[in-house]
Amino acid sequence: MKKELREKLLSAAPLAGMILLGILFLVFALIKDINIPYSMKNILNQSIITMVVATGAVYIYTLGAFDISLGASMCVSALVGAMAYNRTGSVAVMLGVCVGCAVLISLTSSLLASVFNLPVFVTTIAMLSLLNALVLVLIKANGTGDVIQIPAEAVSKLNTVGFKLLVFLLFFGLCVLTFNFMKLGRQEKFVGGNPLCAQLSGLNAKKLSVIGFVMAGLGVGLGAFLTITYAPTLSRNTAGSIGMDVIISIVFGGMPVSGGARSRIYSAAIGALSMTLLSQIMLMLNLNSGIGQMVKAAIFILVVFVSMLNNRKTILPR
Amino acid sequence: MKSVKKFFALCLSLLMVFTLTACSQESGGGSSDDPSQKTVKIGVLVSDTTSAEALAFKAYYEKYIQSVYNVEFMYSDELKDASAEQSAIDNFIANNCQAIISFASADRPAQIEKCESEGIYYAVATGTLTDEQYEKYKGYAHYVGAIGPDLAAEYQAGYDMAKHFLDQGYTKFGMFTGASVYYTEMHIYRAAGMLAAMCEAGKGTYEGAEGMAIVGKIMGEGGNVNPGKIGSVEVNGVVAGYDFDDAWYGKLTAVANDPNVEVLLAVGSGQVAFAGFKPEGKMLGDIDCYTADSVGLMEKGTLNYLAGKFSASIGPVFAATLSAVYGKPVRDNDGNALALSQGYWVADNAEDAKKYYEVDSSTTEPAYTKEMLDTLIGASYDDFAKFVAAYSFEEIQK
Amino acid sequence: MEMLEIRNMHKSFGPTIALNDVSFSAQSGEVLGLIGENGSGKSTATSIYAGMQTCSSGEMFFKGEPWHPVSMNDALKRGVGMIVQENGTVPGISAAENIFLGETQEYVSGLFVNRKKMNRDAQAALDAIGAGHIRAEMMTGMLDFQDRKLLEIARVMAKDPEVLVVDETTTALSQKGRDIIYGIMNTMRKEGKTVIFISHDLDEIMEKCDRLTVLRDGKIIRTFEHEEFEEGAIKAAMIGRELQGSYYRDDYDGEVSSEVVLAAEHLNHTDQLSDFSFELHAGEILGIGGLSHCGMHTLGKVLFGNEKAESGSFTVHGRQIRNEAEAMKEGIGYVAKDRDTESLCLEASIKDNIAIAGLDKIAVHNAFILPSRENSYVDAQIKNLRIKCNDRNQYVSTLSGGNKQKAAFGKWTGRDSSILILDCPTRGVDIGVKQAMYQLMYRMKQEGKSIILISEEMTELIGMSDRLLVMKDGKLQKELFRSRQLSEADVIEYMI
Repeated sequence: MKKELREKLLSAAPLAGMILLGILFLVFALIKDINIPYSMKNILNQSIITMVVATGAVYIYTLGAFDISLGASMCVSALVGAMAYNRTGSVAVMLGVCVGCAVLISLTSSLLASVFNLPVFVTTIAMLSLLNALVLVLIKANGTGDVIQIPAEAVSKLNTVGFKLLVFLLFFGLCVLTFNFMKLGRQEKFVGGNPLCAQLSGLNAKKLSVIGFVMAGLGVGLGAFLTITYAPTLSRNTAGSIGMDVIISIVFGGMPVSGGARSRIYSAAIGALSMTLLSQIMLMLNLNSGIGQMVKAAIFILVVFVSMLNNRKTILPR
Repeated sequence: MKSVKKFFALCLSLLMVFTLTACSQESGGGSSDDPSQKTVKIGVLVSDTTSAEALAFKAYYEKYIQSVYNVEFMYSDELKDASAEQSAIDNFIANNCQAIISFASADRPAQIEKCESEGIYYAVATGTLTDEQYEKYKGYAHYVGAIGPDLAAEYQAGYDMAKHFLDQGYTKFGMFTGASVYYTEMHIYRAAGMLAAMCEAGKGTYEGAEGMAIVGKIMGEGGNVNPGKIGSVEVNGVVAGYDFDDAWYGKLTAVANDPNVEVLLAVGSGQVAFAGFKPEGKMLGDIDCYTADSVGLMEKGTLNYLAGKFSASIGPVFAATLSAVYGKPVRDNDGNALALSQGYWVADNAEDAKKYYEVDSSTTEPAYTKEMLDTLIGASYDDFAKFVAAYSFEEIQK
Repeated sequence: MEMLEIRNMHKSFGPTIALNDVSFSAQSGEVLGLIGENGSGKSTATSIYAGMQTCSSGEMFFKGEPWHPVSMNDALKRGVGMIVQENGTVPGISAAENIFLGETQEYVSGLFVNRKKMNRDAQAALDAIGAGHIRAEMMTGMLDFQDRKLLEIARVMAKDPEVLVVDETTTALSQKGRDIIYGIMNTMRKEGKTVIFISHDLDEIMEKCDRLTVLRDGKIIRTFEHEEFEEGAIKAAMIGRELQGSYYRDDYDGEVSSEVVLAAEHLNHTDQLSDFSFELHAGEILGIGGLSHCGMHTLGKVLFGNEKAESGSFTVHGRQIRNEAEAMKEGIGYVAKDRDTESLCLEASIKDNIAIAGLDKIAVHNAFILPSRENSYVDAQIKNLRIKCNDRNQYVSTLSGGNKQKAAFGKWTGRDSSILILDCPTRGVDIGVKQAMYQLMYRMKQEGKSIILISEEMTELIGMSDRLLVMKDGKLQKELFRSRQLSEADVIEYMI
């Protein structure tokens, strides 16, 4: 019973951590005379893009894979989406182009890996170089100076917490359904846990990898669209930090770094919210970004350590 | 259960760390009902947190201004894009900042619009708005204005630096154009000023353009300056960007050591870019700020000309912002926000550089002291204009 | 002289008590057998003595002195070595580096490691145990399971230990490998050293040991002197009751349906399969035996679509199979030889492992998984196979070997596979589980299902098969039919 209790407590730890950070945030907000309603809105605003992208990326991490080109993919998708808007004046077209472009990039990475029998991580490195070059080409060919812009008024109505939350919930719902209540999630977790056993259980790891990348691409596309609605001026630095934010969020949310059976679809959302709460607390304390990064790094290592400690203990010698 | 205990121990220790930090960081803000006695929180947007100039500005605000005024500065992280700027503004608003001073320009119109819609004062500390932008925002209730070298001043700084060496008879140049390739207007205008001076002295044109028209030429080339002859003057090597990789360093070394280059001109960070590579005897001019390093380089003869922003130059924009927060925004007779230009302190010898640096680096008696800035709180547009126009070292010392 | 002694040893892992007041001793010049069901505590007790882990309480002595090794390396340096059941080598380094793992500094001269000397010493260690066919400079990952095991043995024997623990190692080895270990055990006995020998093979343990200690549920049940060795009594001590019914099936008619469910023709695959043809009938248990490298394990993988035959073909119910998914569609299930890496995902739960092969059966509209449906699917297998567990969400890694194997079976019984390919299904499981598996196989046969039983245990093949194909060098050497007279000698004759 004690062991079961421990398992339950540990699996609830990320959520408990987020709640604890939430309480800490409120305590400091009261002490420091913070605009709490605005802060809440701000936390959602700042988390949501990472939540969307990281939730999609859970499909990649579950497989034990890694995509280093997520940020570059999001930047290209946003740029192409903005160009589409500037040509057509249609926000719907922009949304479609953002999502389509990101899915296409993901498909390319995973299919190349599949065709050439390479670890998908390798193809994402190649894609990273390609996409970074593409960003410069797109901006040079279609931009004003070093940016591509769309009129702020075009998306100002969509730049609300309500709309962003709606986009997130729809995507999150789709991910929860496919991950927890459809074959896809079970199969992805199994491939991540033991690819050889998965193959000998009839699973096609390559096909699952492609599907996983498509799901991640959907998240990246939606993230690109939401980025445009938040800041319609796009440069080569757009989404520059999203790749790292995604990894940190996923780990903070309690997902094993190596993916596999213990992967959780809600890890990303919990982790992204926790990270934003932590950043806001550090901002309130006026800790500069250097100290903030160090605190984040220390917590990151501790989280990984605790999760590995748990894994080690649950393997019972005969 | 051990790991569970460890986890909760971790949570508790984090809680303790935060609580302790919070206690130690409590500002000594007053709780008086008098608005001028209440600590004013001001957010500062920065796109650069590591350059000597950025550090000097930060030191002036945090070490001097914060110690003599009842204000608290809240700095953003290094902002790389428009989205990060929006997030930082949101953070400042959430933390009840009453005003924002911006050193970041990924999307300035978006910053102004956001601050206006959220009812928070906004001032530009580096760079200026374009004429169209100023026309659009000058009447915004929460737009404080811009004080600092405008683009014409940047052009002039580049022009003056090149002319200084041309007047001495030098005709072969190498250039470092910094962030021009990222379309940073400040650097493009400085480079254009240098080329314009060369056009005049060499009696030629830069790819068919001269004067201000060179700006358009550079813009059209993706922010790049092309080497070549300008009449009798030669530009024999150009490096741009901040890649800090082997190729970048290789190019810098090659230009610095090119026997056909007599003078190296940098639009900024010249001390970083060229100083370490150039052979003795070769001239170096830079537009940057006064630091212990730059003074040392001038003493050694490695750096021969420096047009430097002095760190206290951001004092007037602070005064204007604080005035606005106190309910006395500075407006001209037509109700327009501030748009004032300020130039550089120029040193072509070690003595001047040392003199400037001593004043500039002081955290007790900086160039613009509290007494001087106090005269600006609640002052008129014209008083501000007069104060800012008298920016030279000698005038300030008077 | 008393070489080793364990007194009142206790060990618990959270709520699980692995050892409860265990005491035993071994003399110099003795081979002491330890036997017991999976999870009885044999490996735990010996691994504590060999420095792999610590006990909760109790005392240990080595040659009369208190014994507190801090690590396996420490124990080995001081005279106690252990060959573990699992793979104990590192794949990415050379065989020599594995042999001198943790001791590389002894070969450092100046800034560099003297690889020449290290390889020479390693080769000498390999030659000394009779494993000279392994080259010291080879990468470990290129060696097969048996050679990696021999590498571990060489590593331990290079230190010339006075106490050697052999933990269920022989089950993974061919006769040649076993002979190497038996040789080492004999030599040690003659030199006045001590061997603790752990095995599930009762015949083997009775033959090789001087005394035999039986453990059950973490307690010592009884120690048998050599003259007291009697199969029935030992089995009864191990499982705490008399085994009910037959161990193997007791019919000898070998009757099968005439319907051919699987037909293989002229299969060729590297040096593992050579012009191999056979048919499998409905309701047949087809045994496939031979030496470890005869190609029978590869055959299992080819028939499941996991490896492609270079030429030849095989059909199931008349259809060709190109991959695992197609094999499963045709009702084939495959239990791999290497249970922990090929049959199960250890970090996943029993539920995840059993359900993964049957998702198409569980899913509504072949897409949606209803938790209630999935749970009842899994629970049915746990119940049918009597998997000992707290609940379906228990991680497979926490199960004993036998229960892990049951979970691996559950993947295929759950989806009602009509053809099961079982590769060494009873390797490393105790006799209680073995018997349950034999009964299950027989029940499946009676239901008209077909089983391909690939095994290195001849008694099992003879005891369970309707027909037995003996392989040698990838070729079909002999087809033997079920009969009361069929003996191990008959099979061995064609194997070697």
